[in-house]
Amino acid sequence: MAAVRRSALPRLRGGIAGLCLALAMCTASAATFTPAQIEAHYDRVRPALCLVTYSAEVTNPSTGQVAVRQTRALGVLASADGLVITHGHMQRENAEPVSIMVTVGEGDSEREYVAEALRKPDDVNLSFLRIQNPTSETFPFVTFKRDAQLRLGEPLLIMGMLGDSFDHSRAILVRRVGVVLTTPRRTYGLDEPVPFGFVTGPVIDPRGELVGVIGFDLSPQEGGDLYIRSGHPLVYQSGLFEEFIDNPPDRSPADEAADAWLGVFTQPLTDDLAAYWGLEPRGGIVVSTIVPDSPAAQAGMKRGDVITSFHGTPIRAKQDREVVGFTKLVREAGVGAEVEVRFLRDGAPQTATVALTERPKSARDADEYEDAVFGLTVREITTDLRYRLNISDDVQGVIVSRVKPGSWANIAGMVPGVIILNFGGDPVTSLDEFEAATKRVAEEEPAEVAVFCRVGPRTGFFRLNPRW
Amino acid sequence: MKRYVWLALLFGLAAPGCVTTAIQGGDAAVIRAKDRVAPAVVHIRPVKEVYAQGRREEVLVVGSGFIITPDGYVVTNEHVAGESRIVRCVLYDRSEVDATVVGMDRYTDIALLKLETDRTDLPTVRLGASESLVSGQTVLALGSPHGLARTVSMGIISETRRFLGEGGGMMSPYNTWIQTDAAINPGNSGGPLVNLAGEVVGVNTRRMSGADNVGFAIPIDIAKEVVDELRENGRVRRSWFGVTLQEMMSKTDDLSQRGVVIADVEAASTAGQAGIRPGDILLAVDGIEVDARYAEDLPRVHKLIADLEIGRTYPLRISRGGEVREILVETEERSELEGKQVEFAEWGFTASEITPAFARRMQLPSTQGVLVSGVQVGGYAANAGLVEGDILLTMDGHDLTDFQTFQDLYQERAASGQRLVLLDVRRGALMRFVLIKQVGEDAAETEMGSDPNE
Repeated sequence: MAAVRRSALPRLRGGIAGLCLALAMCTASAATFTPAQIEAHYDRVRPALCLVTYSAEVTNPSTGQVAVRQTRALGVLASADGLVITHGHMQRENAEPVSIMVTVGEGDSEREYVAEALRKPDDVNLSFLRIQNPTSETFPFVTFKRDAQLRLGEPLLIMGMLGDSFDHSRAILVRRVGVVLTTPRRTYGLDEPVPFGFVTGPVIDPRGELVGVIGFDLSPQEGGDLYIRSGHPLVYQSGLFEEFIDNPPDRSPADEAADAWLGVFTQPLTDDLAAYWGLEPRGGIVVSTIVPDSPAAQAGMKRGDVITSFHGTPIRAKQDREVVGFTKLVREAGVGAEVEVRFLRDGAPQTATVALTERPKSARDADEYEDAVFGLTVREITTDLRYRLNISDDVQGVIVSRVKPGSWANIAGMVPGVIILNFGGDPVTSLDEFEAATKRVAEEEPAEVAVFCRVGPRTGFFRLNPRW
Repeated sequence: MKRYVWLALLFGLAAPGCVTTAIQGGDAAVIRAKDRVAPAVVHIRPVKEVYAQGRREEVLVVGSGFIITPDGYVVTNEHVAGESRIVRCVLYDRSEVDATVVGMDRYTDIALLKLETDRTDLPTVRLGASESLVSGQTVLALGSPHGLARTVSMGIISETRRFLGEGGGMMSPYNTWIQTDAAINPGNSGGPLVNLAGEVVGVNTRRMSGADNVGFAIPIDIAKEVVDELRENGRVRRSWFGVTLQEMMSKTDDLSQRGVVIADVEAASTAGQAGIRPGDILLAVDGIEVDARYAEDLPRVHKLIADLEIGRTYPLRISRGGEVREILVETEERSELEGKQVEFAEWGFTASEITPAFARRMQLPSTQGVLVSGVQVGGYAANAGLVEGDILLTMDGHDLTDFQTFQDLYQERAASGQRLVLLDVRRGALMRFVLIKQVGEDAAETEMGSDPNE
């Protein structure tokens, strides 16, 4: 407590001094962008801005329920053939964009195109879209300058668009470099927040160069974990995403190379954990949970093993955010690859050769079946869902993801998240069995259908009472 | 006019129990009923043990109760005076008397208090019968809403057998509820619901938030049995064999089918071992036919099972796929849903033992371990990343087979100040290592003052 008090006063003084400095710089560099310059940059970048509209299918991780909502974002055209950079929020672990449209131009020159989401980069929270361009139309686009060196307090121009009520008019903001982070890599933050329509907005430095786009999430290179919003607008420098402009990611997630899987849940070897176990404080990955019958389990690895090297790459994770790097390493090691894993067990070095398998399907990729009669949409219970919802392996069934309002299932009180184990007397352990059961019942048209389900920890019945 | 009010007030204070002759008709009946009960109503201010954010705290709450014996047994709600060190009671004559908690029952939310007094002439209420209540009948609620003692409100019985099931952290498997539109507010809890004969027919307990005049009272017939058992044994023991029941309507609306649906059978239960399966229809218990067409019929069946002798084998008549069979099942004692919480101040968290009922509810493989019920911001437990709901399975390699083992191991470490303590923690389906860093105050300051980059 005393330590805090001691430091409080100097910090306050520093704050005042900093404020004075900022004011001084404000007047000194106000002339950096003249109205004429701002106008010129606005005119230059404006044609490359576009409006991205899409439906987001968001899967609730705890129920598998899918909610659909219409949403929009700012896009930036980055190539003549229609590559669009937009906010990575549209592709998240449990969110999938569908019906993506890109509107280029404004007013009378407005044209709308169907677009496709490309595979999202792992290390920067941006999404890349490809406009479907069968007529080989040429689009206006921007090019970025690499490795800009910005200075604290320097003014920046940010391009973006206003909301619906302003017909998505293009707009420009003047902001300043408000923070310069030096570790683990040079990263710039703005001095003030920006409105939503400026997220992914191109950033122009005082030398008139396009240096990057606005984002909120610290990439692993910035020492962040992806998808953790910093809450502060940052400049994603072009170096973070340039490779994806030169070599756009695959066309669709379907083309994605399958992720490799080790089958462990992990935590970093903090210095304290190392000290407790009498290990060198060199970092590593502690296996905290091991999935039964997974590649790691089959190779004889156990809970508590400390991974120090994976496929020749030393592992030195000491903090939670550093686990991401390990996860990525495993994912990209290749399905079927035999990798050497070095680890410590009770302090003694061991080596295991692990044959990586394909990562089990996640809730996001789970197959689903929509029955038309009872109003139920169900999904398979994926491994990740089992872990998240604590569903043991002996529970075999399908999980309800949607219940159509007004349907027989809705009237019976069924809700998303319910696991169907038996439908009208037929055991249900897969989507196929569910489909067969619903079709049989629909054909037989019984007066009532008892559905045996698991709701949370309990089982019980729902009674469907269709009017055939 | 003003004078009238003043006079009436004076009258009320000076001579409770008197009815002014000017009041006639319906009013007279209401006042008579109120006067019959009011002297035995108790304003209760317990210093209640509350566990929140990893801390044990004592808070002053306000509730109501009523005296049932001249020597001072008082009925109230468990949620009013359950775990309380001091229970201060204010009687109708404004005298203050402390009470001790004789016993409580979470399943019915009833607590029994004994006033610490030598008096044997205390006014008592007359207990009625809730079985014969009809909806539409006038009732009064007496108690201390929002701490306002000696409050009477009036309404009717809106429904005599309301089933509330589980929800909002409350469960009432053994009773339906008397629903009333007589105003019931916080502080009314534990107070009597009274008919116009001046008999207590219910214990005011809950209300529906966000609704107007939807209050609920525990039927006095249920409360009476619980109170008798609390008076005799200090707690209520119930038998059970591990099945969850559901009303027949959940499977069929065919009126010719009688019985109760067995919705779930716990794997490790005696019913499970005896071969009872979900989907079976329970027809009779020990020769007594059971039938629950609607949900509000379930508490009666639950109670029938609860009242069986613990540890005895009973025949159950079961229908499975139309075939009737008899299965012998042994009863066991039903455990409390939640274990008693304890604060572990040095590490800044609270924990409780894992009862069999909790283990089942959370799908735990066993009752081994200790349940974290709260963590204090800035405490060792919070700093180590422990969160509410975590289950501690081992400490420094020792299995935490029961709560006492944990307490012993914890005390040793808290006393020795051992710098690092390793816990094996279950969080949902995942396991995690959690390292508690016991850092003394001096060390903490040094750490705070030091440069993290060093």
